[in-house]
Amino acid sequence: MMFFAAIQNNPYWGKNFFNVILLFIERMFSACLGKIGMGDLASDEIQICVLSLVAIASATVGTFLVMKKMTMLANSLSHTVLLGIVLSYLCLLPFLPKEEMSAHAVSVEVLLIASLITGLITTALTQFLTSFFRLQEDASTGLVFTMLFALGIVLITALTRNAHIGTEAIMGNVDSLHLHDLQLIFWIAFSNLFLIIIFFKEWKVTTFDRGFANSIGFSGSLFNYFLMVLTSVTVIGAFRAVGVLLVLAFLVAPVLTARLFSHRLKHVIFLSIGIGVACSVISVALARHFLSVYHLPLSTSGLTVTSLGALYLLALGLKWGLKIYQRRKPLLSKN
Amino acid sequence: MLAFTSPWHYFTDPVLQAPTIGSMLMCLASALIGVIVFLRRRSLLGEAISHASYPGVVISIFITAVFFPKAHDALAAIVLIGALCSSLLGLWVIEKMQRSLKVKNDAALCFVLSIFFGIGVLCASRLQFSHALWYQTAHIFLYGQAATMTDIHIVLYGTLAAAIVVALFFLYHSLRIAIFDRDYGKSVGVPIKAVDAILFILLILAIIIGIRSVGVVLMAGMLIAPAIAARQFSDRLHGVFILSGLFGALSGFFGNYLSVEIPEWGKRQGWEWKFALPTGPMILLTASAICIMALLFAPKRGFVRRRIRALYFQRECCRENFLKYMWKNAQCLPVEGIAKLQFGPKSALFVPDSSSAQNAYSQSSMSFCAEAEPAQKSSNLSSKANLAIPSMSFTQLKAGMGFSLWQTFWMLFCLKNEGWIEEKDKKFCLTTDGWQRAAHIIRLHRLWEVYLVHLGHGVEKVHRSAEEMEHILTPELEQELTLLLDNPQLDPHEQPIPSRNLFTFIDTKSAEKTSSSEGML
Repeated sequence: MMFFAAIQNNPYWGKNFFNVILLFIERMFSACLGKIGMGDLASDEIQICVLSLVAIASATVGTFLVMKKMTMLANSLSHTVLLGIVLSYLCLLPFLPKEEMSAHAVSVEVLLIASLITGLITTALTQFLTSFFRLQEDASTGLVFTMLFALGIVLITALTRNAHIGTEAIMGNVDSLHLHDLQLIFWIAFSNLFLIIIFFKEWKVTTFDRGFANSIGFSGSLFNYFLMVLTSVTVIGAFRAVGVLLVLAFLVAPVLTARLFSHRLKHVIFLSIGIGVACSVISVALARHFLSVYHLPLSTSGLTVTSLGALYLLALGLKWGLKIYQRRKPLLSKN
Repeated sequence: MLAFTSPWHYFTDPVLQAPTIGSMLMCLASALIGVIVFLRRRSLLGEAISHASYPGVVISIFITAVFFPKAHDALAAIVLIGALCSSLLGLWVIEKMQRSLKVKNDAALCFVLSIFFGIGVLCASRLQFSHALWYQTAHIFLYGQAATMTDIHIVLYGTLAAAIVVALFFLYHSLRIAIFDRDYGKSVGVPIKAVDAILFILLILAIIIGIRSVGVVLMAGMLIAPAIAARQFSDRLHGVFILSGLFGALSGFFGNYLSVEIPEWGKRQGWEWKFALPTGPMILLTASAICIMALLFAPKRGFVRRRIRALYFQRECCRENFLKYMWKNAQCLPVEGIAKLQFGPKSALFVPDSSSAQNAYSQSSMSFCAEAEPAQKSSNLSSKANLAIPSMSFTQLKAGMGFSLWQTFWMLFCLKNEGWIEEKDKKFCLTTDGWQRAAHIIRLHRLWEVYLVHLGHGVEKVHRSAEEMEHILTPELEQELTLLLDNPQLDPHEQPIPSRNLFTFIDTKSAEKTSSSEGML
């Protein structure tokens, strides 16, 4: 009965798509005015906020990943993160109090160690295979991440006796988000934005003209590692919140959508942030809509990814329409 | 008591038979196709396509659940069709994005991978709500599960695997051209595009039959790991195919075997936790274990073997430098009178007199580069001279080479053992063989310098290159250089080049030299 009471308390209960969006805007406005405290946020609002912050964090990093053709790195990091978390658990097991040993109480320290382990193992192994074993780069990437992921899955099923954790890691469980997830992902998004803004011209120059960057004293490989660390932190932070699949979609899809409309770096970053945030609002509202109107509990992360894809299609259509319109315009004015 | 059940039991036991054979067939097929993907350098395409097949799997399970709830047997076939359609769609989207939208390869792969998989997850959540039991079936395809396979699966997957093998067999010739030399293929009239299309279809087939036992997420690794391992052992395409298929089938078997046996073993040992290992990850771990073993220990291309060869070469270089240093120093040491040193029956070497350097050079150049006759003469002349080879002390050598104490000690010990140098009253001097070898290195060095100058390099720049080339040049190259440069007598720095006729030992040394220089190249 408590459970149902909690659901009924949710102001979004039974609302359809448009009402959810309107109510969200209204409530956010009053939250800004201080009428609603952080503790009173409904679960839908937490979801929207977390997803938007994930979108911001990954759009900033993702732009550079796409430009540098390093998205497969994000893919392999998103797989190996599982092994990183398992290993950091094993490392920290002696120091943790007994009651915190369940897989759900992932603390910030564990996540930090995990992201470091993951990033290091993945890149070091991939580079080792390419340079010492003379493997093609994509072959070594594919080998390393599948191997580490398999190891992670085996370890996690053997240790927790539960095969669902692996699934949850991939698909994420947006419905069980909490306030402290919001805090974590806020810091990640903040630091990503901060670092990108501060080093914007260094990023730009190392991305587009590595030789020039090296000649004026910015190390391209240093920024590569920097980007790798940011990516692995983002993936890890989002892993707990929304699953690795979603963060991969957030890293690539909004950037590709934004690239359809602009070729300027700043515009692409801002556009992709906007697209990501819009997608998170729309998909949470859609999930609520399906629940209240059709009584279908759909996976919010699945919906988010699908809507990212749909938005890409829509943008393609829009661009196509624009092209036709621009081609017709001179003809029309002549007549 | 045996710790594990015998592997043979897995082929005879009626319950275990189907999963064993099924996973072996699947891994065989994917390993064969993996060779092509690996050699065409599109290793990560499999990752995107396998993820793209997931929505097809889920939707076809959903359709079965809604329309044919009793048709459990037909499920395998329906799932295959669904997976085929959605992975074809995925492939089409990737190609389209790369061709028309100019999206980079990796971004297109990542996009398709995540979006298609997201759609799959969405459909799975719909399925979970209405048909929870069928959702478990969809779940199998994530990480693979061999244990629930039945005879129908074997027939179905066996047919497809056989089709793949047969197609590869008949396409082998045009396949080889399509992989290695596409332009040649076009000029000869091999339909490269058609072959490519067939290969893509085969790839998709291999992936959709593989995801049942390995799982969507790990399929990419299953494609390339056996291929990488096989490439280590063979340079021939058919060899790589056969080995890769073998490794694939082996890892399919042992992955299945271990995923059943390890929990059983744990149970027998009385472990407090009981667990079931998923098949897919175990298969992939086996495959990557094979792959890493092959990368490390393969006889020709293996890391360990290459490392040893490189170290051996490095050691040889170091020794040759050491001998060279001793030879050069001996040349500069003052020797009483004009000492003519005789080594062996034919050859003669000359140590210049420090008091009359100019005279010595001209004389030495004469005797170094003398043809057989004068050499014979000079050796006759010097037959009565004392055999006074200048020697050097340990500290001199250590300081001269810049070695550490132990390095010098070890080097001297080795060289002495092998008879290149000898020790007299704590002083070291070259033996006959040592002299000859050192002089030969000097000859190669100076010949190379002459050659570089002949090519138009500046005299002051050639030394560094020659320092490296002197260890690499083979006797055949030396012969050619001598012919090309018309048997030069002096190098660009006006130093005499030791004559070819001085050396008797080269032929025995040459084989060793060619083998050791491979390590560096």
